Amino acid sequence: MSELFVELFSEEIPARLQINARNELKKNIKNFFIDNQIKFNENFNVYSTPNRLVLHVDKIPNEIRLSSEEIKGPNVNAPEKALEGFIKSNNTKLEKIFKKNTEKGEFYFFNKESRKIKVSDLLEKNLSEILKKISWNKSMKWANYDLYWGRPLKSILAIFNKKTLNFDFNHINSSNKTFIDKSLEEGMKIFNDFHSYLKFFKQKGILIDQDLRKKIIQNKINEIINKKNLKIEQNDRLIDEIVNIVEKPAVIVCDFDKKFLNIPSEILITTMQSHQKYLPTFDKKNNLTNNFFVVSDIKDIKGFVKLGNERVIEARLSDAEFFWEKNKTQNLVKQVDKLKNINYFKGLGSYFDKIQRMRKLSSLISDDFLISKDKIEIASSICKVDLMSDLVGEFPELQGIVGGHFASFQGFDKEVCLAVSEQYLPNGMESKLPKKMYSVALSLSDKLDSLVGFFGINLKPTSSKDPYAIRRMAISLVRLILENEIKIKLKDLIVYTCSVYRDQGYEFDIKKIQNELSDFIIERLKNYLKEKKIRQDIIESSTFLLGLDDILKAYKKSLCLNKNIKKEIGFETIAAYKRSSNILNTEEKMSTETLGFADPGLFKNDYEKKLYKKINDIRKYFLSIGKDENYEESLKILSSIKNEVNDFFDNVIVNDEDIIIKKNRLELLNMLCKTFDNYFNFSKIEA
Amino acid sequence: MVSKIKKKTLSFQDTIFNLQKYWSKKGCVILQPYDLEVGAGTFHPATTLRSLGSKPWKTAYVQPSRRPTDGRYGDNPNRLQHYYQFQVLIKPSPKEIKKMYLNSLSSIGINHEEHDIRFVEDDWESPTLGAAGLGWEVWCDGMEVTQFTYFQQMAGVECKPVSVEITYGLERLCMFIQNKKSVFDLIWNDEGITYKDVFQQSEKEFSAYNFEYANTDNLFKIFEMLEEETKLLVEKKISLPAYDQCLKCSHVFNILDARGVISVAQRAEYIARIRELTKSIGKVWIESQS
Repeated sequence: MSELFVELFSEEIPARLQINARNELKKNIKNFFIDNQIKFNENFNVYSTPNRLVLHVDKIPNEIRLSSEEIKGPNVNAPEKALEGFIKSNNTKLEKIFKKNTEKGEFYFFNKESRKIKVSDLLEKNLSEILKKISWNKSMKWANYDLYWGRPLKSILAIFNKKTLNFDFNHINSSNKTFIDKSLEEGMKIFNDFHSYLKFFKQKGILIDQDLRKKIIQNKINEIINKKNLKIEQNDRLIDEIVNIVEKPAVIVCDFDKKFLNIPSEILITTMQSHQKYLPTFDKKNNLTNNFFVVSDIKDIKGFVKLGNERVIEARLSDAEFFWEKNKTQNLVKQVDKLKNINYFKGLGSYFDKIQRMRKLSSLISDDFLISKDKIEIASSICKVDLMSDLVGEFPELQGIVGGHFASFQGFDKEVCLAVSEQYLPNGMESKLPKKMYSVALSLSDKLDSLVGFFGINLKPTSSKDPYAIRRMAISLVRLILENEIKIKLKDLIVYTCSVYRDQGYEFDIKKIQNELSDFIIERLKNYLKEKKIRQDIIESSTFLLGLDDILKAYKKSLCLNKNIKKEIGFETIAAYKRSSNILNTEEKMSTETLGFADPGLFKNDYEKKLYKKINDIRKYFLSIGKDENYEESLKILSSIKNEVNDFFDNVIVNDEDIIIKKNRLELLNMLCKTFDNYFNFSKIEA
Repeated sequence: MVSKIKKKTLSFQDTIFNLQKYWSKKGCVILQPYDLEVGAGTFHPATTLRSLGSKPWKTAYVQPSRRPTDGRYGDNPNRLQHYYQFQVLIKPSPKEIKKMYLNSLSSIGINHEEHDIRFVEDDWESPTLGAAGLGWEVWCDGMEVTQFTYFQQMAGVECKPVSVEITYGLERLCMFIQNKKSVFDLIWNDEGITYKDVFQQSEKEFSAYNFEYANTDNLFKIFEMLEEETKLLVEKKISLPAYDQCLKCSHVFNILDARGVISVAQRAEYIARIRELTKSIGKVWIESQS
């Protein structure tokens, strides 16, 4: 049993490309072993530092035995040359060739005997291909070479069973050596096994294993925050990035001047996290502190690293402070007019046009939400002003949030400020969701306006392209409604939004927008339900009848049925429905002439009468419930028809000789199914 | 004796001298700044045009760079509408370029064993040049001091061989070396002249020109004239004079942009127009090389 150990040394590969390359290499090498039926330790790992991509697989046999196989050659009628070629390519003689009949005629065959192959030979032959198969999200060329790689590749170390695997990968020859010093690319050293390689670098403080680096960084941070009584925000993306941009992590605590804590904390946090890859800290009350962590790639012996980073943050925060002080006093209302100069989107007017539309839309919504029309109109008017500020120029990711701070500083109502701040939320499936009604109303009108606009100018996404993230916008819209349990007629809102566009002189094909956008949103709703692990047949049924009119109802009913489908009330409800609808389906011709009700005068026995009465009781129940329908209760009521249905089918033959009686019985069952439609159409549910 | 122990601060001009000497020893042609207003060292024809085609080329030079929108009337300690870049371009990119770069930092007093030098992903794109490259911004203790780029495309043409471009932000770098919080406090020479003495008035006056006084009606006309002239020169197949006119176009556009008279939609259109010019010039240049 042997180990395969490969190291690819390059200039610094960006974090996300490293992660991608690790996964690709792992997948490709695994496929290689499986395809060639070579045993290997499936728990193998691929490691990386910015400069080194390392593969280590052990428990590999040195040899494999290939079983004998019959190799098919050319047809016996093929020209002689073909046979000669076949003999030559299989390195055999004419005596060993035999003829055999197959379905497609008579062919030459050759029996290749069972033989042993060295795994190292196979690896030498295939490694270059395996490496070539790595598909980079982004790759480059350098110097005169034709090779594409994440960043310039400098050397390849390849070892199997302590011996060098020799192969060429484009212009690079593999060897048993690598560079010790990643900076100056000096000091080649020979390694014959993975263990000594790991050990050698560990002694130099370099950790090849990314998981180990992560653990060490996290432990060190935890040690410090526990001592200092601080907290950090869980931020896996940032930690994973940091882990992959260092090889010998050293955690350094730095601080900035406390005066900067007067700037809105989002600005400070963004500066630290996205611009500098620092980790901000918070006190026990979740307030930002002036301490932050830098993960350096070098031990800060002389204190230069700490000093330098503190100076950088000082300069960046001074800039932010300057803009904050300048922008916060610029009157929001007075700037609204200037939005006329800023294009929202080609074909959809300026931001000024957009906020006019949003104002009308949010004002309509405010009636449904029972919130102040004045306040939501103010929020709509000022919500885009921050786009003109220096701060949003510097921190585009803080649009809205910065506006909310300006509004707050200028004394606007608290709910208005929050609405401005949260107008872009949620932004997709995972994002935070606004809960306050003013925020929901503003976000809803922003998204509706955009959706209708983009569909209006025919920029709806295709299956592969969605450059304006319209899908995410629609998903966010669905989440806003469902997760805040808002009862709203989306279809009417789309119609109204179209009319607002029309008032501004846009000549959209309103019918087309309504149809296409409705379908599009329904698709997003279905995806959302799927994410919530609701059964596909329930999803189809719930969106079939209810459509866009009440997506909240569709959502809640499917949740409720999904929860109860295996329980008695769900099971019985569906059983009762199915028994009835199956008969109706077989008598399909009937359906065209249904009256919609059965005639009690034609009932011949109590079973019919009892079922009829029960159906009417259930109908009364559905008539009596208003907006506060308890869906579980509804299911329970529907399932309670079980006895009447069973008695009916056990004792009554629908298919009576008298056609009138038969028809009446079918009418009765039809009534039952229609009554069940009050919940939703069960016909697509699989029993 | 005491004065000998205390390390002398490297002045702004000495930083430039050291870099020039270093790259000169590495075989670079040391050029002087291009005598037109440009936005970055990349625009110097010694980079833009010389990175095209198959002939090897090594150069290094200082390039004054103008970014009208970054002007702050000399009030902001970190922002200037006119600053210096030190530019290195080598084609094809040498194998030991990282080592060469790190040693160049040593030549101006930054020892990579004492500082946290990081190569942070930063892919570069210039829409007006029709250019793109992959590389890093180099951080020294968290401060960006250099752009390091492998050109993949220039003037819309795939680079073969690939050039490597190293661009030092001289002010940033010197602020780091001299430990200054404001660019205006940088020590220019050993006689005590500061950056402020040399450039503050110019920052103030050019900010006023870029943001307030530039005659936009004229500039729009000038843009058209220059564009027309470029096209004419391209037809005549003289790439270098054509490129000069194109650079002028680009600068006029930058001032119009700073004056805030170009809308978002127009912006994309102007950039596309300049890119078309660059592309056509690139073609003529490549033809002239064979």
